[in-house]
Amino acid sequence: MGRLDQFQSRSKFTTWAQAIALNVAFTELRRKRWQDLSLDALMADGERMTEPAMIADDLLGTDEDRTRLVATLRHAIENDLTPKQRAAILGELREMPFDQIVELLGTSRSVAYKMLHDARRALKRRLHEAGITGADIQNAFNL
Amino acid sequence: MKPEDQRLTSEQVGSIVKMLGLTTDREFNCSECLQHVSEFAEYQLANKPVGEVIAKVEQHLALCPECREEYEALIKILKAGQ
Repeated sequence: MGRLDQFQSRSKFTTWAQAIALNVAFTELRRKRWQDLSLDALMADGERMTEPAMIADDLLGTDEDRTRLVATLRHAIENDLTPKQRAAILGELREMPFDQIVELLGTSRSVAYKMLHDARRALKRRLHEAGITGADIQNAFNL
Repeated sequence: MKPEDQRLTSEQVGSIVKMLGLTTDREFNCSECLQHVSEFAEYQLANKPVGEVIAKVEQHLALCPECREEYEALIKILKAGQ
């Protein structure tokens, strides 16, 4: 009921209300699933991402494009992101609910999303500067 | 934690580069997506083309598994009610 003033008549009211109800229900389910994870554990995972062992060795196989892509990505994660950005990216990769990332980072949803967005843009920029194209990425990972 | 647990899997590395491929300078966050997702769902079910603003919902859904999960549930409910 607290969100009624957010309805802007862009869709049927019933469609909007169902979307809001689903958001409330899923948010609560995700919160309970992840409530025991601490910020320290997430930040520690973020630190571990900078270690050489962060990417399985079989990814650094003989394929030249893949090797260069993974090495560039790892270097960018280590050097271009803040510890909180690294932790947020790792949380996202582990399918941690966004609300839980927000809570663990101790910030607002909008700030946390901007943090993630800025992190993705920084990594993308680094790959671009290294001359790695979208086609390279698709070929390396069969996307 | 075992050393192998500290490694990103090939799927996770693939997820990173896929996310980067979808990243644009201006995109919806989750709150903005929620503001427009009901309209987007109705357009999709009606097979109507979406405008530039609502297209950002589609881009966000491709990046955000949570919002996508909620959108897919909404579509199922709407289809069941048709």
